[in-house]
Amino acid sequence: MPSTDFPETLRNALVRAAREYPTRGVTLVRSRRREECRTFPELLEAVRVGAGRLAAHGVRAGDRVVVSLSTSWQWLDTWLGALWLGAIPVATAPGSSLADLRRLGRVIELLGGARVIAGPLVAAKVELSPVYGLAEAILTPEALAATSPWAVSEDLDVDPETVAFLQLTSGSTASPRAAMINHRNALHNVRAIDEATGAAHGAPAHTWIDGWVSWLPLFHDMGLVGGVLNSIAHGFDLCLMSPRRFVGDPSHWLEILGRRGTVLATAPNFGYQLCAERSERIRQAAPDLKGWRAAMVGAEMIQPDTVENFCREFEPLGFAASAMCPCYGLAEATLAVTYDQRGEGLRTRRAPSGESLGRHVASVGSPVIDTQIRITAPDGTELPTGREGEVRVKGPGVFQGYFNDPEATAQALQEGWLRTGDLGFSHDGELYLTGRLKELLIIHGHNIAPHEIEWLVTGAADSGGSHRCGAFSVSRGVEGEVPVVVLETSVVAPETLRDLEREIRLRVAHELSLSLADVVFVRRGQIPKTTSGKVQRHELCRRYLADELERKQPA
Amino acid sequence: MLAVVARIAGKDPSTLKAEDDLVVDLGIDSPQALELLVEIEELLGIEISDEEEVLLVSVGGIISFVEAQVSSDTRRADSK
Repeated sequence: MPSTDFPETLRNALVRAAREYPTRGVTLVRSRRREECRTFPELLEAVRVGAGRLAAHGVRAGDRVVVSLSTSWQWLDTWLGALWLGAIPVATAPGSSLADLRRLGRVIELLGGARVIAGPLVAAKVELSPVYGLAEAILTPEALAATSPWAVSEDLDVDPETVAFLQLTSGSTASPRAAMINHRNALHNVRAIDEATGAAHGAPAHTWIDGWVSWLPLFHDMGLVGGVLNSIAHGFDLCLMSPRRFVGDPSHWLEILGRRGTVLATAPNFGYQLCAERSERIRQAAPDLKGWRAAMVGAEMIQPDTVENFCREFEPLGFAASAMCPCYGLAEATLAVTYDQRGEGLRTRRAPSGESLGRHVASVGSPVIDTQIRITAPDGTELPTGREGEVRVKGPGVFQGYFNDPEATAQALQEGWLRTGDLGFSHDGELYLTGRLKELLIIHGHNIAPHEIEWLVTGAADSGGSHRCGAFSVSRGVEGEVPVVVLETSVVAPETLRDLEREIRLRVAHELSLSLADVVFVRRGQIPKTTSGKVQRHELCRRYLADELERKQPA
Repeated sequence: MLAVVARIAGKDPSTLKAEDDLVVDLGIDSPQALELLVEIEELLGIEISDEEEVLLVSVGGIISFVEAQVSSDTRRADSK
């Protein structure tokens, strides 16, 4: 392995990858019949051209560039191209529904103006359904491809403290927040991931790993930092497929993992769950999973049953249970905070209190290098081992604050410690997560604020003379968290209720890409509220689970 | 195409209506819906962009999309 200094900026990292690993690069798996490869030198050249094209359209250093594209060469060329220019890329989910357009509008507003790289369907849709500021901001990949690139300075000297990119994180999609990540954050975190992955194997991952195989969305920290930036920084062969390709055909991911040598891959709990459910088909394809040396699991609550099922189903194909590697992180800490470094696979303990009381919860490992965690009471005092409290983080991966939002930043960063909003306890130097402090719902790795569901539901029900509404999530075993909504309504006719339920489900499915597990109609006054009229969601959830709600039945 | 949708939904093809929403009316869950999209991609040899996905939420939407793909293929073949 070449031993040059580890790069200090992401631009340097890309140049170094092209120089030190010229035969490695990125493979894009487009379908079962189509895979395309680019070496790191080819990627670097495409990034230079991408940067030059953005510059020709007026993008300058410091400008925000929102990238709303699927996993594709266009995504890499524009996100990395913006970075190359010294502009600030911000990845967000692609999509052309009305809800997607409105979300883009809110993001542009938050960023104080931005260019938006989105596909032609979005550009066309915006003409029919204008969203303030969006039409002027859009630049399609097709328009970029038709542009002659300007020459961009090769001067690589950028202060590592300069903000490199933003990671959108939820307060909710209704009020997104943009975490500012600088070069130092990013490069420290990918080095920390490298060391942590290698900890149980005696050497950093880059010394014995050939590559990564990832289907994770690139607009999420695990896919972006863990997949793309990590691979560029360490010269891993990176194999990318879209999330849809994985969910539509989970076997494909495992088959690829079986033929790319010694590999690593990460997925949220539901990814492993999906594979376990399709295990029969996968066993027919019979990929050899011995080379899959570390399978990280994170991004949402780890369900011990899911992990155990997965290990049991795929042990005959060579997957070692000890390869299972729980981890924990968040966008505000770049990505990784804690990581399993023992190499013994899943370990669980019973939660001592709170919403997970009595359940077995998974260890998510110990802090990565130069990083500390603390379990705290609401007033910030540290709690002893074994007691449940809020997880706080200090270390080089912690972000610079939220873009354009000093209030949210002041709430999140207190005396140098990042408040994660996640609950957990520590034991024997390891972190065990038990739940969330805030009421954010995490469904299949997506963050959704309850009020987003509630607004849609009351909007659908308005003509029916409805009242209060509360949304929450309940655990459905290995399925993980599923969303439930309760609506007070004066409607009684079962046929009307049935139509209302259909309308509610349609809206939530189309606007939030969510499938409601249950829609509960109750009469006025059934939903508990505070003296100021605010819905008490925890209490509502408790009553739902205890069957204390009197439901009106639709036809 | 209807047969593919019906198979994944576990329903008789003759009961499908154009306005049926995949998730809400046919009870297809999200992973199954994506499985359907991947099958359509493989059958037609095309790639459906994430933005085009929104067009494919109902039986009618799928039929329109597929018809458009097939006719544009025919046009391309004719113009060679």
